[in-house]
Amino acid sequence: MSQSFSHRTLRRRGLLALGGGALAAVAGVQLAPRFGRGLSLGADSAEAAASPTNLKLVGTDGWIYLPGSVGSVQPDTLAPKPRTTYIFGFRDVTALDVGTTQAQKNRAQASAPLIYVDEMTDVRLSLTNLGLAQRPDLVDSHTIHFHGFRNAIPLFDGVPEMSIAVPIGREFTYYYKPRDPGTYMYHCHFEDVEHIQMGMTGVIFVRPRQNQGATGIPVARSAGGPASSPLGYVYNDGVAPGQARSTAYDREFVIFLTEVWADAHWRDAHIQVSDWSDYAPDYWLMNGRVYPDTIEPNYDPMVTPTATPAGDSPAERLQFQPISSLVKANAQERVLLRFVNLGYRQAAMTLPGLPMRVVGKDATLLRGRDGTDNSYLTNTVYVGPGESTDAIFTAQNTGTYRLYNRDYAYLSNAGASGLGGQLTEIRISAANSLPLQTVPQT
Amino acid sequence: MPSKTLARLASAVAPVGAAAVLLLGGSGVPVRAQTAATSGMVCTTNASNTFTMTAQPGYVAMPDGNTVYMWSFAAGNQAFQLPGPTLCVNQGATVTIVLNNTLTEDVSLVFPGQESVTANGAPAQPQFDTAGNVTSLAPVAPKTNGSMTYSFVASSPGTYLYLSGSDPTKQVQMGLYGSLVVRPTQGFDFAYNRADSRFNPANEYLMLFSEVDPILHHAVELGQAYDINTYQPRYWLINGRSFPDTISDNNSPWLPSQPYGALVHIHPTTVSNPLPALVRYLNVGAYNHPFHPHGNHGRIIGRDGRALESSSHEDLSYEKFLVLLGSGQTTDALYTWTDVDAFSPTTNPIPVPQPQQQNLTYKDNATWYSGSPYLGFKGDLPVGVTSYNECGEYYHVWHSHALNEAANWDAGFGGMFTLERVDPPTPNTCP
Repeated sequence: MSQSFSHRTLRRRGLLALGGGALAAVAGVQLAPRFGRGLSLGADSAEAAASPTNLKLVGTDGWIYLPGSVGSVQPDTLAPKPRTTYIFGFRDVTALDVGTTQAQKNRAQASAPLIYVDEMTDVRLSLTNLGLAQRPDLVDSHTIHFHGFRNAIPLFDGVPEMSIAVPIGREFTYYYKPRDPGTYMYHCHFEDVEHIQMGMTGVIFVRPRQNQGATGIPVARSAGGPASSPLGYVYNDGVAPGQARSTAYDREFVIFLTEVWADAHWRDAHIQVSDWSDYAPDYWLMNGRVYPDTIEPNYDPMVTPTATPAGDSPAERLQFQPISSLVKANAQERVLLRFVNLGYRQAAMTLPGLPMRVVGKDATLLRGRDGTDNSYLTNTVYVGPGESTDAIFTAQNTGTYRLYNRDYAYLSNAGASGLGGQLTEIRISAANSLPLQTVPQT
Repeated sequence: MPSKTLARLASAVAPVGAAAVLLLGGSGVPVRAQTAATSGMVCTTNASNTFTMTAQPGYVAMPDGNTVYMWSFAAGNQAFQLPGPTLCVNQGATVTIVLNNTLTEDVSLVFPGQESVTANGAPAQPQFDTAGNVTSLAPVAPKTNGSMTYSFVASSPGTYLYLSGSDPTKQVQMGLYGSLVVRPTQGFDFAYNRADSRFNPANEYLMLFSEVDPILHHAVELGQAYDINTYQPRYWLINGRSFPDTISDNNSPWLPSQPYGALVHIHPTTVSNPLPALVRYLNVGAYNHPFHPHGNHGRIIGRDGRALESSSHEDLSYEKFLVLLGSGQTTDALYTWTDVDAFSPTTNPIPVPQPQQQNLTYKDNATWYSGSPYLGFKGDLPVGVTSYNECGEYYHVWHSHALNEAANWDAGFGGMFTLERVDPPTPNTCP
């Protein structure tokens, strides 16, 4: 990695991320994926207002790896080995120079970079359209739709028919003042049925002001609080950690669900057109991968692995599917799962053996207008297309648990026997055995 | 991929008006009011809460240029319409529905959520053949001009479906369904008997979701076999229409069989406009539909004709940016849009640079954008771009997020999809 970090990104989150990286090098812990950076300043509002979050994404095409075969369309004969499947997608180029940014054409990732920002901290999100290397004839524009953002104005809502879209070679900066904490998603809205299915989808979440502490509520670790604090709070719940209505958590993971209809991906690579009313997915993905790849570590799309012999290692296959779904925690820790579905089918995500408390849906604390607690315990989170759900479980007995889509038809990779698809592992180790989590998804 | 040119881009949208009401004469035959509002729920009412409906065949138009053969319920002796008339009654009313059946097979009516329904004065029970097999979920109006009279007391306020209980696998797909709204005793501007369910009666909307497999409809039209196992919807409708027809006015002359629009047309929440809009969602289709209103969350206050409250009336409502409706379910949601950033070209400009128009795409050279980011302002658009914007209003898309349903068969930007229009606060220059 030769790109330079900005001064500001080094201040707080950057330091945390780098610290985690250094720790990883020492302890053999996985590297954080290249999520959005320079976030979660943990500052007071005055500083936050003066220090907006600036992020830069590019939209382009690329190739990912999915196991198994679907007729003559998967693996795609045009795919550069070991990858198999054509996608459209985003990349985070915030810290990259112009030349390196341009070089990310045809290197899209699935799913899109995980972005997290702080409530009331201005966000400037720039989108550059690099074009489609595999389809130079196709001059599609791109947009970013911040799905669920309250009181949006059309210019920043990313619907091309309601305002503007970004053509190839151009840049547009979206602006948001995130007033409402919770779990959201973002995606391209240009010819949405195609661009979303092709992979221009990711997760964005907003951390609450409560992370900066309040009376009886300690400053969260993600905002610079002490090691005794929770990593964060999901919402401004107003109650101390340990109380029943608290949304405090010690670790957080995104469970992002999408689908791949292999025929449509092949057709986009081969200059063919899909009839989307025939939609029939072959793969059900979790954070851009299918099991067993879901439990492989996080990777960095900027780092091309040098496997010996070169060929077919997970690191090579999954370079552009950088986000792991492996959940690791210590006994007694509170673990937040942020479920998001941007497939076109409902998902019933079940976790036998670990009751989850659903504390929020669609970036809203489950609490009535009169303060009634509407949270509930469940073993299954039913999340529809375009929905998000925040669920917290407390790690109990050590061991390995499995989180999967209870629709067993979605646990197959292109019809092959055995477990695949939307399944991952939750590994609970002895209390205090893992270091404190500082970066989501690690 | 470049999208196909939409066959019909309805653009003109008239000012906000009160929910339209269809009046019924003393005979119980509905008479369409002369001054129906262009958007908003169209109620069919009757002073004695007696409604005559006629099951009959007809055709509906799809935006890609197709027409589809349907069966549905007409109001009295009026023309064929899809869906059936939206019946609005007050809580406690004894509702009587006379079903006349002109179709060539038996038809009946069921009223999910209603209790103690009678048919020709007797309890409405499932019908059986001599072998004990269910032939209908309710007593039928026999084929070819038979009749049946159903009655019930509308005891609980809320949003309900009515639909055929005879061969529903076929008849409901064919279009034999409609909506029933029961208004609470608390008042016509409340969704339920709760003070926090109050809404602006000028902003009451219906979103009735359904799917259409035109191949099956064609088979019925030709008298061929109907095999639900081949079911493959190609059209996804709101109130019997597919986008962009969904945003056309109520009773648009070019949609004679599809009288109900689905445009949501509101003003920003201000001190002088404090009340939310109410949207009544219903899903009469065979599939779940995840519906995503852009612009703002909705507060879900009711489900299946019951307020979301505990037994001691604690508030169990919640805000959602996606409404997931199962088959046969209904949901009531309150919507607002507030100009929280209050961007202004002079005193509070948007904090990021606006690129030159030439550096942006206006998709298909047509846009609902005003050319200005600011509410109530219009700006320049490139030569050749058609704008549907009238007065600097904002538009947000509301659509199924099963995006294969946001299509008219193979053409995107259609289907189960409509718009929310937010006008500048009044007084404004909007027509």
